[in-house]
This record gives sequence, C-alpha cells and structure tokens, in this order.
Amino acid sequence: MTRRLAPWVAGVVALAALPAIVPNSFYLHVAIMILMWTLLGSAWNLLGGFAGQVSFGHAALFGIGAYVTMILFLKAGLAPWWGIPLGGLAAALVSLPIGLVCFRLRGPYFSLATLAVAEIVKLVALNWETVTNGSVGFLITTFPPVRFFGLAVDWESKLPFYALAALLALGGLAATAWLQTSRLGAYLIAIRENEEAAEAVGIDTVRAKVLTFALSAFLAGLGGGFYAAYFRYVDPDAVLNINLSMEMVFIAMVGGLGTVAGPLVGAVFLTTVGESVRERFQVGHLIFYGLFMMLAIRYMPEGIWGRARRLLAALRARVLGHVAA
Amino acid sequence: MSLLEVDGLTRFYGGLRAVGDLSFTVGEGEILGLIGPNGAGKTTVFNLITGFVQPSAGTIRLDGKSVVGLRPHAVAARGIARTFQVVKPFPGLTVKENVTLAAFLRHPSRRDAEAAALEVLGRLGLGHRAGDLASQLTLMDQKRLEVARALATGPRLLLLDEPMGGLNPSEVDVASRLVDQIRKGGVTVVLVEHVMKAIMRISDRVVVVSQGEKIAEGPPAQVVKEPAVLAAYFGKRAAP
Ligand SMILES: Nc1ncnc2c1ncn2[C@@H]1O[C@H](COP(=O)(O)OP(=O)(O)O)[C@@H](O)[C@H]1O
Ligand SMILES: [Mg+2]
Repeated sequence: MTRRLAPWVAGVVALAALPAIVPNSFYLHVAIMILMWTLLGSAWNLLGGFAGQVSFGHAALFGIGAYVTMILFLKAGLAPWWGIPLGGLAAALVSLPIGLVCFRLRGPYFSLATLAVAEIVKLVALNWETVTNGSVGFLITTFPPVRFFGLAVDWESKLPFYALAALLALGGLAATAWLQTSRLGAYLIAIRENEEAAEAVGIDTVRAKVLTFALSAFLAGLGGGFYAAYFRYVDPDAVLNINLSMEMVFIAMVGGLGTVAGPLVGAVFLTTVGESVRERFQVGHLIFYGLFMMLAIRYMPEGIWGRARRLLAALRARVLGHVAA
Repeated sequence: MSLLEVDGLTRFYGGLRAVGDLSFTVGEGEILGLIGPNGAGKTTVFNLITGFVQPSAGTIRLDGKSVVGLRPHAVAARGIARTFQVVKPFPGLTVKENVTLAAFLRHPSRRDAEAAALEVLGRLGLGHRAGDLASQLTLMDQKRLEVARALATGPRLLLLDEPMGGLNPSEVDVASRLVDQIRKGGVTVVLVEHVMKAIMRISDRVVVVSQGEKIAEGPPAQVVKEPAVLAAYFGKRAAP
C-alpha cells in the first residue's frame, strides 16, 4: 500500500514545491502546459491505451468543454471553477451518442468516424452563431474577484491556474490508476486483445467502451474548460482543431499506452521539446515536433515510459543477479 | 422440455443458404454431436445460437426462452458458452488472466473470479501454466484454454467447435475424456467434431448436416451407416 502511495505523495510534494523554485513565469507556463497535456493524454489513454480504440476526434470533446465553460461564464456569469466541471459533464454527455454510433465500427473505421464527428462539431461551432459566436469566438476580459482562505486570488498571476492544472492532472492520473485495477479496465484490455472473445465470455463490449469513452470525454472536457479559463479565449480554430486530437494521440503513444505515468512522461517530453523548439523556430516548429514524434514511435513503440520501465527491470535483474552470484 | 430447442433455423449469406430450416433439440445432460462435411454450416449454427450472427428465420430457445436477438454477451449471461474453431485467446494476457476475465461473469469480485479461474484451470490440467502468456501455449493447450474460458462463464450449455482439430490420437483421447467429465459436471454439450472416433465414443446422439440442412439424426453407430450420410461425406458414388 505504501509502495503504491509513495509516487503519489512524491508527485504532490514536487507539484507544491515547483512554483517556489522556478525562476520565472515562463517556466510556470510550461509546467501548466505539461499538466494540461498530462490530463489530456490521460483522457485519450483511457480509451486508446486500454481499450485500443484510437480516437482522432478528442478535439471535439476538448472544444465542447471549452465552449461550455466560456459560455456559462460570459452569458450566465458562472465562474470557471463551476464551468470547468460542467464542461467536462457536457463533453461526457455528448460522447454517449457519438460512442453509440462510432462503436458500431471497428479499427480504422472507428478512427475515421471520430475524425468525421470532430469536423461536424467544428462546423456546428462555426455556423451556430447565436450560441457560439461563429468564427469570432469569445474572449474573457476580467475574472470575478475571489478569496481563497481569506486571500484575494490574483488572476493575473499564473499561480491559481497552476494549482488548478495540477489538480486536474492528478485527477487524470488517478482515474487511470483506478481503471488499471478495476473490472472495467480488465474488460477493456480483453476488448483490446480480442473483441469477439470478450463478448463470448460475457463482456458487454459496447457498454464498456461507451462508459470509458464518457470518462475519457469528461477528462478531455475538463482540459478544454481549463484551456478556456487559462487562455481566456475560445474559437473553433483554437479549441476544435484537429491538431489537438493528434497531440493527445501522440502524447499517449510516446509516453506509453495503457500506463498511468505514460501521459505525464509524454506531456513533459513533447511540451518541453515543442515549446523550446517553438521559441527558436517560429515557423518550422511543427515539423521538428512531428519528426521527433515519428522517431519516438519508430524506435520506441512501447513509448518512453514503457521503454524506461523495461530497462529498469532488466537493470534490476542484472544487479540482483550479481548480488545472488 | 429440452434445454435447447432450435426450430426452422435459417441463415442466408447473400444468395448462399448457409443454414436452412434446421431443427433439433438438446436435452439436459446430453452430449449431442453435430457433424457434417466442411462448409455444411456447423460453425454458422454456433454463431446463430450465440448471437454473433442473426438468423434470417427460425427460433432458438434455451429453457423455453428465446435467445434470438440477444448480443453474444447476453447469451453468455443466459448460460450458453462457446469455443471458437480457430482459437481466440487474449494472447497478451496470462492463462489465468484469460480465464479470470470469463469468471467475472458469475463472480464480480476479482478474488472470487481468480479463485474460480484457478479451479477450472486445475480441472482442465492447465493449472501449471496459469502464469504463462496465452500466446506461448501449444495448440493443444490453447484449445484447452478455449474450453477453460468457456467453462469459467458458468454455462449450462457448452458449444464446442472442433476442439480436437489438429490434435494427435493420444491428445484426442485425453480431450474426449475431458468432454465426458464436463458433462458429468452438469454441463450439457454440443460437440462439432471431424474426429469420428471421438464423436462415436462420447456423443449420446448425433445430428448430421449437409449444405445447411439436417440429413440424419440418431445414435452415432446407426447414423454413420445411413446412405444419405455416406453420400454427403464420400460423394454419391460411395453410397450403396
Ligand atoms: N460471414 C460469412 N459470410 C459469407 N459466407 C459465410 C460466412 N460464414 C460462413 N459462410 C459460408 O457458409 C457456409 C457454412 O460455413 P460454416 O458454418 O463455417 O461451415 P462448417 O463450420 O460446417 O465448416 C460456407 O459455405 C461458408 O462459406
Ligand atoms: Mg466450422
């Protein structure tokens, strides 16, 4: 039990200490991005890594979370800390019909269907102007004043967002850890291994996939809601962009599919590589980013985390072997 | 009342009639042999009963209740388990994990499911391989795993699709005894098999299908002598 809790305690301590040791707010921004992408990679990983259902449409769920959070704030005056979870819930709700339709399809057909759904959602956002403001989108100018334990929250600093992102990322990791030990998680692995055999032994494969998709959508929607609050800006190009879907796929893949820490590792790697390259190469950064991901997938198909764990296990075996000999 | 009642079962694939107006029953505690030449429609019958394929016409009843239209997992929950002619293990999982996943159907808690899985594995002589990956098993053991997984769902009726295909004669003997043991354990069995020795030895009754239709039915020793059966298996010239 303590061994299982130890990495979590260490993680929480590190997260709490980080703002005190980073030299400036740019690094805090990088940390926030890593945490947001950890959440999003975890969201995608639940469905893609465990159940083997490769979605190319998670941008839609992210975007729904972002829009709901934004619209609730601007039109109903609902603060983002309510709007973000409601955005997650909205994404989960929307995922149900999407799942029921797309899960009729298998393999690449499922992936293409999710891609199509994401494009449809984007078209709706572009054209349903009375609700979404079309291609113009929304902008938040000021946040409501809040006090937290008697202290006024300074929304102009990155600290409140860092705290929120840390909470959300931990939530994503915890959801993965829960799934890994749950019966649902076992069902998903069975589905990934052989879907027909899974049905034959009594696993309701559609139900398992739809439930997982809803959980995944909830997390992706939380990520979108956070994005809206942090960047204070939402439009179809920003939050319903197919690049978002792809980055979630790559983070989960590079980090290591079906593992708890994989999305964190993937998010650290890609955010740091992506952000530092972006700084130096204003235009061509996406090419470097893509190239790096291709290499990672080519030479480390089990992901950085998977590879690291294997190397560690091998090392431990060798060391123990020496000790025994 | 019979445990399983199949009546007028028909399935078309485009213009091809894979199963046509097939009726048969299986009594509780029976071992029914379902035989016929390749392409006769035996696997399709299993697919129809277990909900993997929907019938074009006909009824299928377990204990008098229709199972037509149920998805495969729901058929399994009603108590019909099957094996696949071409084995479908969860290759990346261990033997124990393979069977535990099936045991979840009757044992929601992981501890109970694992215990049930180990019990079934022991019964099938696979206990010593519990920790091995399913993909590392020999064909014989993969076929056993297929049966173990089906049994772990706690079925009343077990449909075995050529469980002895590709096994050598001594392995066939072992497998035959196993099927008999399963029946003694209270599970009714429908056995599709090409190994006639096994069919003759363990079936109480045999249904012969050819081109999707039933051409003979009765005790095995009697059925194999019928001209229609000989004709179906060996062509018209062999018929007396
Ligand atoms: N999914 C399918 N699509 C088209 N034809 C099929 C399909 N499944 C089976 N068939 C055809 O139905 C007939 C019966 O096949 P099958 O049930 O596998 O026979 P058996 O198990 O007795 O060898 C064969 O002619 C086969 O080609
Ligand atoms: Mg067959």
